[in-house]
Amino acid sequence: METAISVVVDATLITLILALAAFGLAIIYGLVGVINMGHGAFLTLGAYLTWAATTSGIPFILAIIIAAIGVGIVGLILEHLIIRHFYDKPFDTLLLTWAFFLVMTEIIKIVFGTNFRNVVNPLPGAIDLGLVEIPIYRGVIGLVGLALIGGTAYVLYQTTLGIKIRAMIQNREMASLLGLNIGRMYKLVFTIGAATAGLAGGLISPILSVDPYIGNIFLIRSFFVVIVGGVGHLLGGTLVGSFLIGGSETLFALFSKQAFAQTVVFLLAIVILRFRPAGILRQR
Amino acid sequence: MTADADKHLLPVGRVSRRGLGQSETGLAFLAFIILALLPIFVDGYAIYILPQYMLFGMLAMSLGLLWGFVGILSFGQAGFFALGAYTMGLAMQSDLGINPAYIGILLSLVVGGVLATIAGYFLFSAGVRATYFVLVTLALSIMVEQIAVSQSDITGGWNGMFIDRMSLTFGALGEISLYEDAPAYYAVLPVVVVTYVLLRWLTSARFGKVLAGIRENEDRMTALGFNISLYKTCAFALSGVIASLAGALYSTHANFVAPSLGGVLFSTEVVVWVAIGGRSSLLGALLGGILVATLSNYLNAVTPEYWQLVLGLIFITVIVFFTGGLAGAVAQLPRLWQSRS
Repeated sequence: METAISVVVDATLITLILALAAFGLAIIYGLVGVINMGHGAFLTLGAYLTWAATTSGIPFILAIIIAAIGVGIVGLILEHLIIRHFYDKPFDTLLLTWAFFLVMTEIIKIVFGTNFRNVVNPLPGAIDLGLVEIPIYRGVIGLVGLALIGGTAYVLYQTTLGIKIRAMIQNREMASLLGLNIGRMYKLVFTIGAATAGLAGGLISPILSVDPYIGNIFLIRSFFVVIVGGVGHLLGGTLVGSFLIGGSETLFALFSKQAFAQTVVFLLAIVILRFRPAGILRQR
Repeated sequence: MTADADKHLLPVGRVSRRGLGQSETGLAFLAFIILALLPIFVDGYAIYILPQYMLFGMLAMSLGLLWGFVGILSFGQAGFFALGAYTMGLAMQSDLGINPAYIGILLSLVVGGVLATIAGYFLFSAGVRATYFVLVTLALSIMVEQIAVSQSDITGGWNGMFIDRMSLTFGALGEISLYEDAPAYYAVLPVVVVTYVLLRWLTSARFGKVLAGIRENEDRMTALGFNISLYKTCAFALSGVIASLAGALYSTHANFVAPSLGGVLFSTEVVVWVAIGGRSSLLGALLGGILVATLSNYLNAVTPEYWQLVLGLIFITVIVFFTGGLAGAVAQLPRLWQSRS
């Protein structure tokens, strides 16, 4: 019984953390259709900015905000210099964002060094729920992830900006004819996606050791989360996808080594992608 | 976003004309002559390391075939390379009475081919879009790396696996040990040349024309009655076989395999080589692999971070401005010269 509950708790936490990590990717892929292979670099940069800010005495909350803004600015520059010229060529954006990953990783190495860095956990300790203990900080990031997804739902469905974005996804030409500045909207969405990834990187940094390839752990998993959940389903899709990828990895890890569990989950994701390329949620 | 966005995958029509075209055969001949004569003029480290770079070039050709001639990009070539390398390593440990290296080479061909066929047919038969194929192949290479790490009692895990240099045995006629660098050099070079010639022949034969047709207009080829997924699977299987063979030979030459050989970073390095060398020319891919690997080896020792940074920037420049890579640039030289005179 205790193991069952602790597995459920673990799976839930991992689902939410993975959803948080994948959300920036889901925004950029789902809304502007860019396969952002630089997502890992956004996460890594967010983690390093948080590390740099906290070690220079800035409180953690401010540090992750700095990380989000910093990565958002980098995303904006990337979009303005390169990506905006290639929106109608998904294949080229894939290569270009990958090149961005290579360049950004090297810049991170040059600026921050290649050693492992540790961000001090701002909320150490655990809550004892009788049968299981939940590490406070992991619980908090899970909640932040949920709040972020909820907040995005609010923006998309309750605000003018949301209407504009949805109009843009539905019919780009029509939205443009109705006076929507498509170029600016794309830029905004890309920047928000990057900033979200930066925030996620910052939030995740205390639970991992930060190194220049930390984002790689999440890159492919994030993609599978987004594809398995369904590219168009920004909110539900991200959660369902995270549950399938993160949750099943937790389950498989009970029976086998972590690395092997990941392999099984990847295979599972490939099978889903083969038979339901539009994602689990989409009806045939 | 949508399926029709994927139709603009590659500006292939232009790419194909940016290849080396007629001059490729001559240039290839020249390149191979230089490589064949090189050991007469230099010795030592260069002759030790060059075969490994030639095998990297062979790996690059396996990607060039897919990317340039079928229009599908794979981030998983390093996965096949590592698979071949580990297969060779395991075979070399066996004792079956026959030269274990031959068994290793045969097995690596089979393993690479079978895995690529299964993965390729599984995905292509469902018409999985090209961008998803990139992600799946990237996942494949991560899986190879993960398995190599986790099955440490077979593979040695992070510590890697040591592998002896192979010998060429000819039954009663005796044997040639490839332990010395010069014989090893002259054993690897012909394999690379034969692979290149075979691929050139295949891509100019009917098979290659069908592939080009698929690259240019998939719907039309379907309408003409071609089994697209079969052709794509064949191309992917062939590229898997070549990558796996290159890996097998690499492992016995380098004496060592580590999981990172299948990892994400090495996988992308292959993509960088081919992009810089020229994605629509097999010679471009081959020389791209050899040249960039040589440069990387030299400059990584001098200034690792800044060189990787520069390489990344070159990669961006190539994708944005020179889709044809080095091969495309060379092909345009005569035209520039003509327009001046």
